Amino acid sequence: MILSNVVLQIGQVLCVLLLAPLLQGFILKAEERVQRSRGPSIFQPYRDLWKLFHKQLVVPESASWIYLIAPIVAFTAMLIVPILIPVLTDRPLPQSDMGDMLGGGMILTLGSFAIILAGLDSGNVYGGIGSSRAVMLAILTEPTLILVLVGISLLAKAMLPFVVNHLLLSSASTYWSPAHLFLILAFFALLLVETDRLPIHSSTHLEIYMIDEARILEYSGPLLALLKWASMMKQFILYTIFCNVFILPWGMSQLGTPLGQLGSIGALLLKFLLIALAVVVVETVQSRLRFYRYQEPLAAGFLFAVLAIVSSQLL
Amino acid sequence: MFLAHVNPLQASIFSSLAIVSLLLTFVMLGSHWLRNYVYAFAAQSWLIAALSASVAYFGGYKELYAIAALTALFRGLVLPFLLMGIVAKLNVKREIHAILQPSSSLVLGAFVVMFAFVISNHMNRQPPPAAHVVVLALTIMLSMKFLGFLMLSVRDEAVSQILGLLVLENGIFLGSQILVPGMPLLIEIVILFDLLIVVACFGMLVRFLVVHAGTTSSRALNRLVG
Repeated sequence: MILSNVVLQIGQVLCVLLLAPLLQGFILKAEERVQRSRGPSIFQPYRDLWKLFHKQLVVPESASWIYLIAPIVAFTAMLIVPILIPVLTDRPLPQSDMGDMLGGGMILTLGSFAIILAGLDSGNVYGGIGSSRAVMLAILTEPTLILVLVGISLLAKAMLPFVVNHLLLSSASTYWSPAHLFLILAFFALLLVETDRLPIHSSTHLEIYMIDEARILEYSGPLLALLKWASMMKQFILYTIFCNVFILPWGMSQLGTPLGQLGSIGALLLKFLLIALAVVVVETVQSRLRFYRYQEPLAAGFLFAVLAIVSSQLL
Repeated sequence: MFLAHVNPLQASIFSSLAIVSLLLTFVMLGSHWLRNYVYAFAAQSWLIAALSASVAYFGGYKELYAIAALTALFRGLVLPFLLMGIVAKLNVKREIHAILQPSSSLVLGAFVVMFAFVISNHMNRQPPPAAHVVVLALTIMLSMKFLGFLMLSVRDEAVSQILGLLVLENGIFLGSQILVPGMPLLIEIVILFDLLIVVACFGMLVRFLVVHAGTTSSRALNRLVG
């Protein structure tokens, strides 16, 4: 039995929606285990979300409509991006060509933009701090992201993530070329920054270190749950892009049978296990950087992206 | 010459390994900490060992497997271990760059790489499919030699000077693996043991300097001691 393409596309979105808290739970658990403590269960993020959805909603008096609409915009943006990227199948599904890689990047950024506005909206000082820090980081990461996208489209001669996946699967020489390896390194630097990990984001949420947490400090109840879920989904989406488009393009369903879908979910979880362990290693060995040294890992990422483009043109 | 029949996959693997080793040389050039130099050198040696193994695999040179194992053992484990011993004995953890700041030496390093590229582009006689790998290998060999020489000339800590020498030598070794992989086993073993002796001698010298002069920086050693 081959599932219809619409069902597969819905499956992609549901997969991101439902498995995102599991990834977050696994990373938190693994970090605690490395430090020889027990850590929360890997299902704890689900319980947190459940709890938050049953809490009362408290809205600050100074908040405007932006405060109410921002979590919904962020959450919706994260539901749109999985349509554009290969999550479970390696072929284009309906509506997956409505945006290319730049479009996907723009929708991801739109989600963060809405949260930045919400942080500024209520007039709370911490919201302002968080938003200004997040904008500074965005200014530093955005050039690298654009260059990585340019680099990968120069390699594949196309702007669609599915084409890149097919190219890496079919040509081992492209996979091992210096251009592709440098792009992997550059995207890994981006992945650490965008998913709130060290060396820039702190793992403990004290006010002086807060970046993303400070923006949503005013939220409570279901809206906070939406924001948290959206950030977990963003992490899941970035991991998916890193695995399926950059580093591990294997193990995706080609025909679209139910068994194949289950297989690709299993493969996806296995790939995420590897990437998450690499992230946990970075979080364990690396200490948080001072504010004035934020640009160093990002400059390294930028350098790798430039090197990738140079070597894809030279070789 | 086996590079004349190189296929795209081999070309990608060789050039990736070579370029990442060049990048690690820049890590050494731009870092402040003596410990990082040694880590970068160890990683570079492992990459060169991987390069020897892949040349052995694709080119069918059996003896290069032995070279790869020896490289990984000596350059990747023994030499870094000895160097870490030397670094641990010093009371200097961080080098003060008196002559050239790390950032300016990085820029200088970039110019050196361009110079090496121009030279190797002139030296190349191979037709296009092999030419990419040949030019790349020559560029990286020459630029690692120049960068090692740069480190020897602008650094004043004894450990960084040893590492400059080792990088210079790693560059030659890397280039020879790609360009003339049939180099006799005996010569390569001689080179490996040469390096071991270099590091052992430097270790003794450093120990002597620490005891008798109190420093290993060549900037402080400009006065005759009776």
